Amino acid sequence: MSLSLITLFLLSIMVFLGGQVLPGNVGRAILGPFADQRAVDALNHTLGVDRPLLAQYWGWISNFVQGDMGTSYIFRSPVAPFVIDALGNSMKLAAVAFVLVVPIGILGGVVAALNLNRPLDRIISLGGLSVTVLPEFVTGIILILIFGVWLRWLPIAAAWPKGAGFFTQLYYLILPSLPLFLVLFGYIARMARSGMIEALDSDYTRTAVLKGLPWRTVIWRHVLRNALLPTVTVIATQTGYLIGGLVVIETLFRYQGIGSLIFTAARGKDFPMLEAGILTIGIVYAVATLMADFLYSVLNPRIRLGAEQ
Amino acid sequence: MKTNYRILDLIRRDRAPLESHLIDGLVDGRVSRRDFVRHGSLLGLSLPLLGRIGMAAGFGAAPSLARAQGAPGATIRVACYAPAGAIDPVTNADGGGYLMVQQVGEFLCIDGPDLVLRPVLAESWKPNDKGTVWTFKLRKGVKFHSGGEMRADDVVATFDRLADPAGSSNALSVFKGVLQKGATKKIDDYTVEFHLDAPNGNFPYMVSSDNYNAIILPASYKGDYEKSFDGTGPFKRENYTPKVGASFVRNEDYWGEKALPDRTEFTFFADIQPQILGLQGGQVDIINQLSGLTSIGLLNDPNVGIISLKATTNRQVHMRCDSDPFKDPRVRRALALSIDRDKVVAGLLKGRASMGNDSPFAPVYPSSDTSVPQRRRDIAQAKQLMEAAGAGKGFKVTLTAMSFQEIPAYAQLIQNWVKEIGIELDLNILDEGAYYGDAVFGKSPWLDSVMGITGYGHRGVPNVFLAAPLKSDGTWNSAHFKNEKYDMLVDSYIAALDLEAQKATAGKIQELLLEETPVLFTYFADYLTGTAKGVTGVQPSAMGQLFLEKASKA
Repeated sequence: MSLSLITLFLLSIMVFLGGQVLPGNVGRAILGPFADQRAVDALNHTLGVDRPLLAQYWGWISNFVQGDMGTSYIFRSPVAPFVIDALGNSMKLAAVAFVLVVPIGILGGVVAALNLNRPLDRIISLGGLSVTVLPEFVTGIILILIFGVWLRWLPIAAAWPKGAGFFTQLYYLILPSLPLFLVLFGYIARMARSGMIEALDSDYTRTAVLKGLPWRTVIWRHVLRNALLPTVTVIATQTGYLIGGLVVIETLFRYQGIGSLIFTAARGKDFPMLEAGILTIGIVYAVATLMADFLYSVLNPRIRLGAEQ
Repeated sequence: MKTNYRILDLIRRDRAPLESHLIDGLVDGRVSRRDFVRHGSLLGLSLPLLGRIGMAAGFGAAPSLARAQGAPGATIRVACYAPAGAIDPVTNADGGGYLMVQQVGEFLCIDGPDLVLRPVLAESWKPNDKGTVWTFKLRKGVKFHSGGEMRADDVVATFDRLADPAGSSNALSVFKGVLQKGATKKIDDYTVEFHLDAPNGNFPYMVSSDNYNAIILPASYKGDYEKSFDGTGPFKRENYTPKVGASFVRNEDYWGEKALPDRTEFTFFADIQPQILGLQGGQVDIINQLSGLTSIGLLNDPNVGIISLKATTNRQVHMRCDSDPFKDPRVRRALALSIDRDKVVAGLLKGRASMGNDSPFAPVYPSSDTSVPQRRRDIAQAKQLMEAAGAGKGFKVTLTAMSFQEIPAYAQLIQNWVKEIGIELDLNILDEGAYYGDAVFGKSPWLDSVMGITGYGHRGVPNVFLAAPLKSDGTWNSAHFKNEKYDMLVDSYIAALDLEAQKATAGKIQELLLEETPVLFTYFADYLTGTAKGVTGVQPSAMGQLFLEKASKA
């Protein structure tokens, strides 16, 4: 826990210093290259970004630890509602993508391993790999053209109307989650497949089979639990990407996620928004890793028991 | 048609000498009817009067933008770029931002798609003899959405706010050397005088939609525009969500003809591709701004209409005149001669552009001297010039360009063409923010690079293009071009009130810039708007504004 806090603190300093390296200044970013320098100076003064760096950072961090994320420079209103909305949206999209890709990816890997070197294995392995290497903006545009423009089955933009219910939101999220499914499916299926192959080849599986256990029990009790351990780690590390790394998908599907929020903030040198956005992703990442560790110990009694001993 | 001198004399009787001179120009054939209407509107002559003069001089009536009216009650859905930040008419510098303000606000006059000024909140205007004082008569009975009547106090406050060096006004660069804070004076509740720093023959454009910050706001405006979205326009704000979109509804108390649509909805996008997919997928009716290169897929789509406006949007290729290898004007001319302008217009811009002649005088400006010969590709002459300048063996130089619309592709074309005269270009394509840097000399690749490409948006008059990027003390003078004669000519062009005097000076400026060639202007791109089939009455402006009060859907 304390290690996570130190990480977040260091992250905040890195973001702040990184922001200073970017060319231009906030006033210039807002008023544009053609504005008079006097107007730029006046705006920088109003926003307080002409103060010494340390004063700016101290002002921000002392408010942040008290729960105040500050005021956005470019939107000139509090940061918190932007970050909370964007995080909520990102988590919804990530959740739909997760629900689609995790079971299907694992199932694909298991089926491939059980049909090792047979046509079904080849189809899943090669097909998964092929769609994984396609960038999501390519698959995204193809999917929009097929389902949004030609067939008109699904809405092109992921932004649902105000006040939409659960199912309407889900309907709007199907299309943007499909490219994510395609990117992650091959990856998760391959991890599950190799874990399965290793587990199937192990001594304990042979023992289980030889002692006469039914095949289904062997797979569920002995193979799958061991085979999924590396897959869980992979899934956890993808959380950061799914929550904060979807700038391209969010732009393509006009979705207000935290990835595009951070991107806009970085371009506009909107430091309070940038810090809040990145630290939020940092927290999500830390929580995801913690959950993965927990799940790991549930699946792997050696870790749990080792810790108890 | 015959000229009716009796009517012309009657009209002349009440006109100022400058206006009579313009009428003479039309009658004698020195001024075309198109230029007569544009310049007449600048001097404050009303369109009906210009029409009467045109008829009396033997031409037809003045061109009108009027068209068949569609059905009322539609909801018009527009795709546009997201505003870059908080909406504030004083600071907004981006298309998305000022598009929002323009939906509810109005200008004293608007610069139409034909570059003719039309009165909106001002009913008429006229200069004094020198062009140093412009008097604007305001429309009566105009109400802000917040309730109060628009009067001279509001207009004075609006322009004082925009010209205030201590404020954060984005229009300060437009008014620099033109209009000071305190120089806008109220004469009575419906008359305002602008007392200028120097004579200015094109001043009305600076208080028109050409200066997108010049929306008239109540005198009480203190910032925080998103709370009020106040204005006098035909639509009122219904809803605005940053980063997502906005909607507007008809203003039933509007002073003029009421808007046809019940509502308009604007959806914000960060990129053009999803906008195109949205139009093709039937989820939006209009894409406010397209560019030739990105809209190839739409140009031949039978379900999409393209509104194409002749504009002065340009990409300036600057060459540093104060340092090698471009110190010698012959090298700059040689480089200009290696560019295949026909291919730039036909290929890169898909024909949606006019050819440039290495000066800001686009063919569409009434004051451009079209008798100046057009520069075209001539490799033999270019090689001769390189030899004469002692650069026959060629050289290597970096071309820095911003990553914006067709600019990177344009840089590659230039790279290929200049190879033929021995110039090897290394391309350095930068993100827009990195390219502009701090936007001051010494801290900006835009202003410091030896050679660079910068994108400039449309302007209804060439004043801005002539001054800031080319005058010796110009704040955007990336070519570091210093030429006293040029500076004097530009001052005299800006001061001229008379179209023929403007044209004569323009010719001299065009000749001088062809000789010196500090900056290449090879094309002026048209402004493109996409509409779905059945959508009519949409009126974009090349500045990026979108007038929807006459829009309807079949």
